[in-house]
Amino acid sequence: MDERNKQIAYKVIAVMYFLTIIAMQGIVLYRQFALGQEMSDFEDIAIIMTINSLFLISALLYFGAIQVRRLNIKSILLIYVVFVVLGALFTYAKYNIFQSSGLSIEQLFDKLIIIITIIGLILGFWILLSFLGKKRLDKELE
Amino acid sequence: MQYMYCIMEYLYYICNMENIKIKLARVEKGLSQQDLADLVGATRQTIGLIEKGRYNPSLNLCINIAKTLDRTLNDLFWYEDKKK
Repeated sequence: MDERNKQIAYKVIAVMYFLTIIAMQGIVLYRQFALGQEMSDFEDIAIIMTINSLFLISALLYFGAIQVRRLNIKSILLIYVVFVVLGALFTYAKYNIFQSSGLSIEQLFDKLIIIITIIGLILGFWILLSFLGKKRLDKELE
Repeated sequence: MQYMYCIMEYLYYICNMENIKIKLARVEKGLSQQDLADLVGATRQTIGLIEKGRYNPSLNLCINIAKTLDRTLNDLFWYEDKKK
């Protein structure tokens, strides 16, 4: 196996991985919204997908595939707010549009606190990893 | 006359696409594509694609090819801009 074969293999693996994740996402959404299944029915797929996606982005950040030029507070806060808004919208749509029962404002607020916390933790983890990755590269360059 | 010009332009295009220099150096050395591939640790298809100009080899592979063919990197991979 020479470098060209490896390159082709990596490309094919990357595309297949991407398609698998997209297909799994499609299955989860279909089961959740079209079939109206309970969360417990597809929890395993959702957990695998979530962990997989989180670790994928983490690895990309750590190994420098996603280039983070400068970590400034402004852009981090902007990303954080965007994620929180998207998460809140998704939660609202999930409970109050696709499910007939719906949630009260208080219940939605409780969910929002969970969203804010989880997104904060994830973002913090990614910032830490990108910082460590940058440090590792700097060390290699010394 | 115009047809001739088109044909010449096409040939020029083909020649630019292919890495004739590697092919010539390899043939001068009396090596087949398979021989060169074995010597540089690549497959015959990879050598063929490099010669056709359809694959950009890594610098390491370029150096290996150049050393095997007793040429420099400039000899095999450098092209002057023909528009100048």
